[in-house]
Amino acid sequence: MKILDEKPDALLKRAVRGDEQAFLALYQKHQSALYRYALRMTGSQWAAEEVVQDVFLVLIREPQKYQAARGELGAFLYGVARNRVMKHLEKTPRELSLDVMNADGSAWYEPEDPLTPMMIAEKRERIEQVREAVLGLPAEFREAVVLCELEEMSYQEAASACGCPIGTIRSRLHRGRALLLAKLELLRDAPRRASAGAK
Amino acid sequence: MRHAAQAQEPSSLRTVRKVVAMMDCEEFELRGLDLDRADADPQEAAAAAKHAEICGRCSAMLESWREVKCDLRLLRESTWLDSAPARVEMRLKQELRTRREARGPHRTAVIASGALAAAAVVVASLGWMQIHHKAEKSVAAESKIVATGDMLATSPNENENDVRLAADFDTGEFTQLPGSLSSGTGDESILQVRMQRGALERYGLPVDPERASELVDVDFLVGEDGQPLAVRLHQDTQIAAVTQ
Repeated sequence: MKILDEKPDALLKRAVRGDEQAFLALYQKHQSALYRYALRMTGSQWAAEEVVQDVFLVLIREPQKYQAARGELGAFLYGVARNRVMKHLEKTPRELSLDVMNADGSAWYEPEDPLTPMMIAEKRERIEQVREAVLGLPAEFREAVVLCELEEMSYQEAASACGCPIGTIRSRLHRGRALLLAKLELLRDAPRRASAGAK
Repeated sequence: MRHAAQAQEPSSLRTVRKVVAMMDCEEFELRGLDLDRADADPQEAAAAAKHAEICGRCSAMLESWREVKCDLRLLRESTWLDSAPARVEMRLKQELRTRREARGPHRTAVIASGALAAAAVVVASLGWMQIHHKAEKSVAAESKIVATGDMLATSPNENENDVRLAADFDTGEFTQLPGSLSSGTGDESILQVRMQRGALERYGLPVDPERASELVDVDFLVGEDGQPLAVRLHQDTQIAAVTQ
């Protein structure tokens, strides 16, 4: 059986015993999503890097904190990442390091479809606007948007990751969407409607 | 006729119709934007779509949201390949190795201490067993002394008075009894007995019949099994005299 086919609990047990391959399998499976989540929540590559590192250090140093009976490993890791992100946001509530993200070319994925330079520039600008708008949302609404819209989690998964009821996630997402709409309309200077949710 | 058709409708369809009919702008703001989600409630989605068809304001909001969804999709696609830098993995691997290496000596120490503890228990048990065995042997030797005294002495009264154990013995003065083997373990005891000279004949020693009735003081070297191994006569009664 391939190592990637093993159940997370079995991999974690092996990793705790010092099996590097098992640990790397877990890391490779979860790190990307956790990094994106942290990056979108903090807007800082450095902070996202720290968050991912902290999450897996918890797994190495305090594996007993994860209890399979209480949920999946992915949800547990999201929970740890969320705590770290919130602590980071408490310390630096409005830290927006968009320039840092732009300076690093790896953040930009060049689409394969043929676009004119004008179209590419326009697309890039729209992405930056939406990124900025997401980062400008209050943390709890931002989290709902990031998990449900960007990470495409179901309400159930997002609720599990945040440790709250589904209704709370839906409510936060509703508010987040409304604020996002209002922000983007303002950024694009094209109010299409009276912003209902952002009253 | 219409009532009859309604009665034939499935109940789920009737519910959809009811939800579609009931959704207003406020509800659309709350749930209408879930319209395109994969996990959206189909009834609510149908109701939201129906409401958007008839409400210009909510239709504009839905259109705006779909544009934002497109932008969010672009953002998602542009960052989909983002992942933690390789240095994070390196740091974590290092941490894992450090912990594994730290755990190795710890495990060795635990095993070593366990082995030492087990060894200590074994040594203590052996010591206790030896002490216990010696105590039993002393009791057995005392019994043997009495038995040997009875056997050797012509008079029971004399044996009871004269038999005693000595702590040490001088091997240089002892004469090995015929047929006995020296154990060499150092666990032998000396048994002092006053007995008739003639009784020495039982141990294979030659005795002058004329002096067989004389009383002599004899040291017996008694082995672990209580059997005499060697004999020694006291000062005035040397073996030579015995053999006269």
